[in-house]
Amino acid sequence: MSLSREAIVEGLRGILGPEAVVTDERVLVENSVDNFRKLQNIFDVHVMPVPAAIVTPTNAREVAAVLTWANEHGVNVIPKTGGTATEGGLESAVPDSVIMDGSAMNEIVKIDPYNMQATVQCGVPLQVLEDRVREHGLTTGHSPQSKPVAHLGGLVATRSIGQFSTLYGGIEDMVVGLEAVFPNGEICRIKNVPRRAAGPDIRHIVIGNEGALCFITEVTVKLFPYLPENNRFLGWTLMDMKTGFEVLREVMVGGYKPSVARVYDPGDAGLHFSHFAAPDDCVLLFMAEGAEGIAKATADGIQAIVDRHPECTQVPSEYIETWFNDLCWGPDKILAEDERIRQTRNVNRTTEISADWSSINDIYQAARQRIIDEIPDITMMGGHSSHSYINGTNMYFNYFFNVVDVGPEEETEKYYLPIISIIVEETLKRGGSIVHHHGMGKARAPWVRDEYGSSYYMLETLKTSFDPNGIMNKGTIFPI
Amino acid sequence: MTAAAPLRVVAVLDATGSAAERHGRALGAFLRDGLDAGDIAPGVVTHVFCPPGADPGAASATAPTLDVRLVRVPAHRQDVATAALAALQTGDGADLYVFPSGPSGTELGARLAARTGGSALTGVLSAAVGDGVLTCRRAAYAGYLEEESALSRRPWCLVLDAGWDEARAEPPEEHVVVEAAHLTPEDPGAPPLLEIKPLEAPPTGDLETARFLVVAGRGAGSRRGVERAAAAAARMGAAFAVTRPVVMNAWAAPDRQVGVSGTRAAPAVCVVAGASGAPAFVWGIERAGFIAAVDTDEHAPIAGEADVFVAGDALDVLEELADLVDRHSR
Amino acid sequence: MRIAVGFKVTPDFEALRAADWARVAAAADAEGRAQATRYVRRVFGVFDEAALELALRLRDARADDGLPTGLAAFTVGGPDASPFLHTLQALGFDCLRVDPGGGPASAADTAEAAGALDFAPAATAALVAACARQLGADILLLGERGGPGGSGTVPFLAAEALGRPCVTCVTAIEPAGADRLRVSFRADDGPVRALTAPPCVLAVGNAVVSMLRVPTLKERLAVRDVPVTQFTAADLGVDVGVALDRAPAVRSLEPVDRSRAGIVVTGATAAEQARALYEGHLRARLEAL
Repeated sequence: MSLSREAIVEGLRGILGPEAVVTDERVLVENSVDNFRKLQNIFDVHVMPVPAAIVTPTNAREVAAVLTWANEHGVNVIPKTGGTATEGGLESAVPDSVIMDGSAMNEIVKIDPYNMQATVQCGVPLQVLEDRVREHGLTTGHSPQSKPVAHLGGLVATRSIGQFSTLYGGIEDMVVGLEAVFPNGEICRIKNVPRRAAGPDIRHIVIGNEGALCFITEVTVKLFPYLPENNRFLGWTLMDMKTGFEVLREVMVGGYKPSVARVYDPGDAGLHFSHFAAPDDCVLLFMAEGAEGIAKATADGIQAIVDRHPECTQVPSEYIETWFNDLCWGPDKILAEDERIRQTRNVNRTTEISADWSSINDIYQAARQRIIDEIPDITMMGGHSSHSYINGTNMYFNYFFNVVDVGPEEETEKYYLPIISIIVEETLKRGGSIVHHHGMGKARAPWVRDEYGSSYYMLETLKTSFDPNGIMNKGTIFPI
Repeated sequence: MTAAAPLRVVAVLDATGSAAERHGRALGAFLRDGLDAGDIAPGVVTHVFCPPGADPGAASATAPTLDVRLVRVPAHRQDVATAALAALQTGDGADLYVFPSGPSGTELGARLAARTGGSALTGVLSAAVGDGVLTCRRAAYAGYLEEESALSRRPWCLVLDAGWDEARAEPPEEHVVVEAAHLTPEDPGAPPLLEIKPLEAPPTGDLETARFLVVAGRGAGSRRGVERAAAAAARMGAAFAVTRPVVMNAWAAPDRQVGVSGTRAAPAVCVVAGASGAPAFVWGIERAGFIAAVDTDEHAPIAGEADVFVAGDALDVLEELADLVDRHSR
Repeated sequence: MRIAVGFKVTPDFEALRAADWARVAAAADAEGRAQATRYVRRVFGVFDEAALELALRLRDARADDGLPTGLAAFTVGGPDASPFLHTLQALGFDCLRVDPGGGPASAADTAEAAGALDFAPAATAALVAACARQLGADILLLGERGGPGGSGTVPFLAAEALGRPCVTCVTAIEPAGADRLRVSFRADDGPVRALTAPPCVLAVGNAVVSMLRVPTLKERLAVRDVPVTQFTAADLGVDVGVALDRAPAVRSLEPVDRSRAGIVVTGATAAEQARALYEGHLRARLEAL
């Protein structure tokens, strides 16, 4: 027999005290969705189950106490920190869920410039950490668009990636140790070391678990020298994406490590670069950073590679530098975007996948064309590749559509999910991964078995072992 | 050595509506503090437009100068007012016209300059005469930069920055009023606007004249947060304003907005809660005597744009502050 | 009823940083200023964007009443405006671009001439008025102000050149029968609603509707090969040089220093912070009010 809403609130108050249990109806309703169904918040039409409460524990013991209690009573717990999720990971799949908000755990525990690592609690905003380590001449090297808002706990939980990943790697390359709490109340700490070969690397059970296995309370990440004075920017226009992917591949295979390496298709380039790129132009851009000699060698090497492609036309580097300086989205931009949606009903969505070099262009072309042909009211269908590896790259589909003839709450079903479905199908068909860095959330969970194939056994065993009662973020990664 | 001819200065006041008092004070303050006429003693007269039936004394009451030329013009008849101004200029040959901020002053200034071959400048912060040119300062690039420009072609038609509206200059107790009856046309022609109806005016005036102002920014977080901030402001007896992101998010009405695209306030004390300090916003409060800011982000630009800064929860601190002010004012 | 909307494409000021503003301020002339802002993306002037959307909504509202409305959009400026014009074509505007440089000028010349117009509202207004005539506009709809100069005088000066009345700070426009419009605007002493009849100039201010709708890909494709009409100032019979010579001369631009003491007030709780703020800084000041 499941607990009533009142009993849930009562139970939580008993554990954490009344101040740490939020039951304001308005706040709860706004927290029933994340950016996956953001139109429900923007237009204030809510149709999802409303959570029973939001709790704000202040340490791992409190987290453990709440999880133990929820585990006993079968109460669904949705871990959350900064709240920038885009894939439904924070929305309530079942009624009377409890959102466990880690943002009150916001202490920077230690900045260790000698060992080049920083330890923070889960609720520290990345921007705050970045600003603090910059005082030491250091950087986290992690810079997702959500940097001004996202917190470290959520970034680790979703396997975040930053705009400089080609040099610094994704968050999985940065986390050296962490602390997480499991549904049975077990508080586990993975120590901070440079490397280990003492069995499987269990950090990866926690990194990217999306709150479906455990709650992350603390993380330790690497630090790097911050040398912006050495940054170099390079940009070109070109006629097709195939060439762009080819240049990216040559740069990666050549052993260069630019921090930013991107190619934009004409539609996406039109959003950012129409002041120098023609309507049918793609845009290829790079940023090299690091120690002076490295930055120079990287930029020179990339220049030499692109020079072998006469179809690429170089543009002044100031264009790229100016673009770079305005990359991140703070609260002001988010509000302006919301207002634009409210007034125009024109909605911007994104879906990111990855694939090897042989397949990426085919996936891009096939998905793009199908979406244009099959989905109504599209106003822009484009994308860019922004994270490259020796064996392949990602594709970040970026698309806009007008919401016509349906209520804002139906946008997801009429437009967003059908588009995701096309992108996922075209990606799976060619052996790519259906999620590059936003996480599965609830949006792409329906395809989890297709994504994992025979290895789904391993994934499923993690869930059944660590969360046997299925109280952790129901519907995320593992569909209901 | 020839003595320079005295500068002939005209202030223009539209008294057909209720903004005349504010505008009269703005003109007076600019003539006193904003205009450097050098060694040339300016002789100043005010042209006042007032409705046909108005009492001359009442219509002239807020004129900033002793001498007043009264022209009878119905409200919203900018065409008639412009024609009258141009006719007066033909007779007077004035060097400098000063108009208050707002649509009426801007229209009269722009059209007069166009008709007389003079030059117009709007948003004027200050002006100085020298070497036959008028050098003015004004905001440019949406408040990001301040511009200094030189006007040569006379008459110089200056439209004041809205900031002068908050300045205080008392008009003379008495006026010498001359009616320019000949300038009121017998048949003014068809009016450009019909069925003119005032809409329910939101009480914006309090932002412009408030001595104590509380401003809430996007850090208020929600409509509910903005309501909390407004309630705290009310308890403190402060006027309440918001930044553009708050209006953009429909958490408050546009008339509450301070900044480049809203009102420019000049309170003695301003408390800013949860605003990051974008230039277009700070422009709207930079004339405040004292600015205290509260924001969770100690690195936000507002921290350096305020006299004092509190790194904390904007709404919590504001509500605690309201308790203190409320308690002490009893 | 034929409505022509004039708009300006400007650098996105919000994307410029302090160092960029220092470069703008240090530039010797209009060309230097244009150069200093050329690397940031372009946007519609905020009030111009509102004017364009209000025109579309007015067209739609009149269509509901069975009334036809012709829509045109024009801009004075360089090729920067091309993507914006293409969007407007897809939304149903007839589009016109006036090259202020005159003649078959290079892009750089055009940019320089457009930059020179930034602080010369009378010259801009002469071109705007000529466009309105060229397009046979009953209603000339503009943004109240915008761009680097932001004088707010272009609508009045264009109206003056056309011999028309002008209403600024317009916040809403509704149809009122076949030949009239009901406009809401902010007068000096508060918001007003009135009837107006063409020909007239309306300048849009802080309207509640401020953002332009977005055309679909199909709508864009449909106008892919429709050219934008282009004129030079000379084609329109406007001598920009004369108007430029009469404009006030910009002597200097300076970044505005808005910094204050920024004394940090501390406290462990919100109550303590408020107390420190009140006792240390606000109490005496508020009591003196």
